[in-house]
Order: sequence, then structure tokens, then C-alpha cells
Amino acid sequence: MELSAKRYGFLDGLRILDLADEKASFCTKLLADMGARVIKVEQPGGDASRNIGPFFKTTSRLKTSIPFFYSNTNKLSITLDLEQDEGKSLFLKLVPYTDVIVETFDPGDLKRMGLDFKALNRHNPKLILASVTGFGQNGPRRNFKTSDMIASAYGGQMYVCGSASAPPLKSCDDQPYYAASLFATTAILLAWRNRANTGTGEHIDISLQASVTATLEHVMLRYFAEDIIFRRQQSLHWNGGFVVLPCKDGFMHVSLFQKWQTLIEWLSTEGMAEDLADEKWLDEDYRRQHLGHVITVLKKWTRTHTIDEIFELAQLMRFPWAPVRSPNEVLHSPQLKARQFFMEQEYAASGKRKTVRYPGSPYKTSSKIAARINPAPTPGEHNEMIYRRELGLSEKNLKRLYDRNVI
Amino acid sequence: MQPAVLQGLRVVDLTRIVAGPYTTRMLADFGAEVIKVQSAKMATGIESNTAPYFCAWNRNKRSITLDMDHHEAREIFLKLVEISDIVVENFSPRVMSNWDLGYATLKKSNERLIMLSMSGTGQKGPWKDFVAYGPTLQSLAGLTYLTSYSQEAPMGFGYAYADMVSGLYGAISILAALEHRDRCGQGQYIDLSEYETTCTTIGPALIDAGFNHHQIVPKGNDAANRPAAPYGCYKCSGGDRWCVIAVFTEDEWQSLCGLLGNPAWSKANQFSSLAGRIRHKEILDGHMAEWTAGQTAEKLVDDLQQAGIAAAVVQNAEDLANDPQLAASNFFTSLNHPVLGEIKTDTYPVRFKNGRPAAWKASPMLGEANQYVFEELLGMKKATIQSYIEQGIIA
Repeated sequence: MELSAKRYGFLDGLRILDLADEKASFCTKLLADMGARVIKVEQPGGDASRNIGPFFKTTSRLKTSIPFFYSNTNKLSITLDLEQDEGKSLFLKLVPYTDVIVETFDPGDLKRMGLDFKALNRHNPKLILASVTGFGQNGPRRNFKTSDMIASAYGGQMYVCGSASAPPLKSCDDQPYYAASLFATTAILLAWRNRANTGTGEHIDISLQASVTATLEHVMLRYFAEDIIFRRQQSLHWNGGFVVLPCKDGFMHVSLFQKWQTLIEWLSTEGMAEDLADEKWLDEDYRRQHLGHVITVLKKWTRTHTIDEIFELAQLMRFPWAPVRSPNEVLHSPQLKARQFFMEQEYAASGKRKTVRYPGSPYKTSSKIAARINPAPTPGEHNEMIYRRELGLSEKNLKRLYDRNVI
Repeated sequence: MQPAVLQGLRVVDLTRIVAGPYTTRMLADFGAEVIKVQSAKMATGIESNTAPYFCAWNRNKRSITLDMDHHEAREIFLKLVEISDIVVENFSPRVMSNWDLGYATLKKSNERLIMLSMSGTGQKGPWKDFVAYGPTLQSLAGLTYLTSYSQEAPMGFGYAYADMVSGLYGAISILAALEHRDRCGQGQYIDLSEYETTCTTIGPALIDAGFNHHQIVPKGNDAANRPAAPYGCYKCSGGDRWCVIAVFTEDEWQSLCGLLGNPAWSKANQFSSLAGRIRHKEILDGHMAEWTAGQTAEKLVDDLQQAGIAAAVVQNAEDLANDPQLAASNFFTSLNHPVLGEIKTDTYPVRFKNGRPAAWKASPMLGEANQYVFEELLGMKKATIQSYIEQGIIA
């Protein structure tokens, strides 16, 4: 008990160098939030992912990226030009004091810089290197350009989202980066455990495309088991079991096949069941064959109600229904509030202090370990600390490196 | 890496459907001994041991049967917990406590136990008893709203993405808790909310909404956070065939014009800068669609990528099954199921340079490990087991 009280998280002591852009910053954020010490290594002037919007609206001319803020909490930042020889040798000085490096360079770039796994291994034989790229380190498409939309399309996500009468639809807000970051986190923790057992490092190869394909749930297994090429069908989910219906003040996601009799009783008490009370509709197959009619009748009913009138009552009767919430509405969720899900940080914007609320850890643990809540660092915020105090560089030396734009 | 890095860990698996089974599948893939607790009563529909859905999420696991409504089944379960490391469950919050098998009770049997409860909205709070499937969570968390062409017609995902995200978080929380236990000897209870895991994947939109006080709208296939044009999804030749193209920089635009054969329209003043191309994106998209319509997505995308432009084929399930890129890393594999025969399945998608492929097994049949667990692990007598089977306790 004594020991845990002093620790910042389950991963306190794990040392990470973060060479990741937006593709995998979320991975090192998760590790940092769990107590790992993560040093973000940015090019002088700051990482390019700092230029990705949306931005905090302030009167300041400095643009601060919201995605960067979110995916870099609890990290330290140093600046370093890895393309310069001096930058490289400085980087290699940090490697022996590092357990894990996470990077998102194109395949082959690290080798060109003389910083591939083999070279890094010479400086730290137990090093774990995690590489997140569009398609992985091998294969015919390894050098293809990527982005969240590219990974969504190649990974199979786009084809199954949207409407059949419209183009395939990209998933919202960089989901391939989140999927890859989550897989990368599991892989790093596995390799870390392996290292504890065997004393050997590892090069981990994470592909955005493969991460998307691995999260398609029913899509591939139905293809293999039933030869079904699933096509996008709006909000009907995979089996027509759910549909989004309009209410007076928004939309509800409702299930169509669960607790049918309860549902019809509910509609009947309001005189809105129409012919759905007939016996033939008790047959689930019949309902599936005449899905359009079921939806038409239900829609007439939902239109007469507000979301509040339906949502909690439906849940009391154990229907898995939910309103279609916008991010603005999610912020006011009583459940998230009761669980104190959102973290808060003061953000200084041109003299005024405003509060930033952002998602915290999605699980609670019985060990009450102090949570670290540090904002994303500014570029090179910890240069002094890392280079001077930890690597022992002289002030003169540090100034010289600044002048030469190495850091 | 050793393929069975988690060998020696025993997991008691009370999970059902997909989110929970996906967590324990990852542990099983890496060598943990995952013992799924089933019962004939519950193993029906998609939880039946020969349903493809069940097979997909339960490979590499063992199966025992226990009808937990019997007092004796509970006693056996507690004995199993005593010799295990991890318990994972994804029932509604009241179920485990109704059986008097909450963490406080289990901890008495095993001080070092790590227990993970995965539920729709968490173990506490006004919505804790709400019923939530993937689509419910995606709507509640904002993903359905955001993954739409417009605000007027919510679309969302065609699959239970939230369950996969939750499964991944489940595995992360367990691996981190194991790390903590190794160093401090401390067990752990983890209360995971699938609602919250899903919310973490739209963090920037939530911050934007709260801090900047403006209504977030769905962006469809538009370039959301980084200016680009042309940008989007374009129809190609053949049936339901599409490609995506993303042109960010001036260099990329010039390469694209070259591929197009520098048509007169591309030289128009309105397209001479990125800002202009974004302003006139409808006209630009019209030209692009005309160009893509006559070509196959595969050929087009290869040409575009050769020219240094980000582009992709919108792949369907059949494309993925035959994708040379996925094949290069043996993304799919075959397992031999005792009843269904050969089953094709995806693998854990990450590759380890020093890792050998593990020897994997198909999902178990109902109660296939009864003898192993009850007799070998728990030392129960054959006669007792037989009598429990007859009484419907082991059933």
C-alpha cells in the first residue's frame, strides 16, 4: 500500500521517447496518463501535428491545436533535429535511458537516418521500438501515402458506413489513429512484459489499415462464414436490428426486434400501434421481411414524442435505446457527470483563464493512485531539464546547439 | 517476443457477445489460459458454441459449464477464482452482486486477483442499469451523429465499433494492472464504462464543443482538420466501386494535373491556389468524378500513389479477404474447428519482428474443459462431478 501511494500510475517507471505524429500520439498519451514518463521529441519549432485543427478560439495569434492538446497530456517535450549529426548523437545519448520508442516515420526513414531498430539496439539491446505506419513495414503498399481517410477506405470501414444511395462514408474524427493507437498500446505492454521475462527488446509493426480491418466486428466473419459482402445500409446496423428515428427534438436509436410484445403494448396504450398489433407481426421473420412498414409505424409514434419522454422509459423497460447525441450534448450527460469522467485544466488564453474539459480515463480502479494532470507541453518546454540536468550538457554547449538549430 | 508471453496466467471469463470476449481473446491469443464459464441455458443463439459469431471471439479459450443459480456452482466458481489471476465479466452491474460474487467477495478468495467489470455505462451513476449495445453506445457518445453526411440524417457505423474499442481498453487495463501487481503485489478492481471508452475516441470534438462554445456538425467526407482539395470519395467503373483521393499540397495538385493530362479546366484561375480549389470544390469534384468514373479503382489508385498522391480503394469484405497487403503479414489465418471444420479468421493485427506465430486453437465446444478444470485443477472427485452433472450444477 505504501509503495502504490508514491506511484503516479500503473506504469510509473516506464520510460518512453515519443517520435509520433497524430497517427500515434494517442498511444503515448494513454501510456503517459497511466504513469509512464513520456518525452516527446519534436523538430525545432515544434511537431507538425501542432498545426492540425480545430484550434482553441482565443484572441492570441498563437494557434493551439485541440487534437494536439488532447493527445499529448502528461508528456514532456524536447526539441531536436534528427536530420543533423549532432541531433542524432544527442538522441542516441537518450536511448540507453529509454524503454520504448514510438515512431511514425515512413518505412525506411529511420534506416536512412541511421536510427533503425538494429542501430538503436546497439545503444540499448533491450529497447522496444513501436512503428505505426499506414500499411506496416512490409508488403506491396508499404510506401503508399496514408491519412485517416486512406486507412478508412483500405481498411474496409468506409464501404460499410453511410447510405447505399450515396458514396461510402468516412468514420468521424481520425478513428484509424485511435484504433492503431489502442493496438499499439496493447502491443507495447505485451512486449514490456516479454522483456521482463526474457530480457530482450522488440520491434513492433503496427499498420493503420490492419488496425481498421481488425475492428470491423461482424464484417469479415460474416464474409468467411456466410459469403456475405456487407453493404452500407444507413443506421440499420448489420441485421436491420436497429434504426434511427426522428423525435420532436432530435433522433433516437431504437432496436426493432427486442421485446416486441412490450413495444406493441406501449404503442397500443397511445393508440399508435396500427396493424402491428395483429398476430402475424409476432413472427420475427415476417417483421424482417416487412421492415419498411414496421419503421413507418414506429416513426409516426416517435415523432409525437420528445427524446426525454421516450429514452428513460424505454431503458426502464430494458430496451437498448439511446438518443443520437452531438458532442455538445455529450458534455451534459448526467452519467458522465456522476462518474466525474471529464478532466479539467486551466488554459491561459491572452490573460484570461478558461477551463478546458476533456475525456479522462474510461475506467476506475480500486487502487487510488494519484492521477497526473499536466497539460500538453510547449515545444522544447523540458529542454533545460532533460539536456542540462539529466544528460549533463553544459550551458555553453546547450546555447551552441540552440544557435545551430539542433534543438 | 515469445508467442505465449502471457503463459502461466489464468483468466476466468464470464463475458458474452463481443466487447468482453474480445478482451479475453487477446489474452488467450498470447498464451493466457482463459476458462470461459458457460451454461447450456445461456449458450444459445449467437452464444451457441457453433455459431460463427461465438467462434470468432472465443478462439484459444477453454470452456466449462456451471449453472450459477445453484449454490454449489458458486462454491466451485470461488475455488477456481482462488487459483486464477484475472476475472473478466460484462454483465449488467447487478448480476455479479446478485450472485454475491462482487469484487469484495472474490478478493476474500484471492487477495492478488485482478477483476475487470465491463458494462455499458459503468458500475455506478444514474444510468448504470441502462442496456447498451454497440449502436446504443455509438449514438450516446456522439459517434453516430458525427459519422453522417449531415445533421438531418444520422447514419453512424454499420457495425459495433464501440465494442471493439471497449475490448481493446479492457485488455490495456488488465495488462497495466498486471504490471502494477508484479511490482506491488496488489490486486485490482477495474470498473470500465463502454460509454466512456467510446467518448475517448472523439476527445477533440468534445473539447472543441465545450471550449469554443459552438455547435459541432458532422463533416461527412469533407477534409475536416487539414485543408485539402480535391478531397473525398469518388465513383469508379464497375458496380459499387469507389476510391478516395486527398490532395493537400501544391506539389500534389501539380502531380494530379499531370495525371489528368493537364486539361484546360485545371488551368482555370479559380483552381490556381488551394484556397481557390477549396472555394470551388463542387466544380472541382464534378471534374474529378468525370475522370474517375471511367477507370477501375485499383488502377486509378495505383497511378495516383505512384504520382505521390494519397489515394485508396474503398475495399469491401471480399477485397479485404484477397488483399495482397493484408496477405503479406498473414493477417487472416485458418483454424480447425471440431464441428465446423476450417474457419477463417483475422489475427491480432500487430506484428512482432522477433515473434514467432503462436499455435492457435479454434473456439471450444461447450464444457470441453470440464474434466480438466474440475478434476485436474480443482481436484474434485469423479463421483462428485457426476452427481453435479445430474443435479444440473455442472450443466
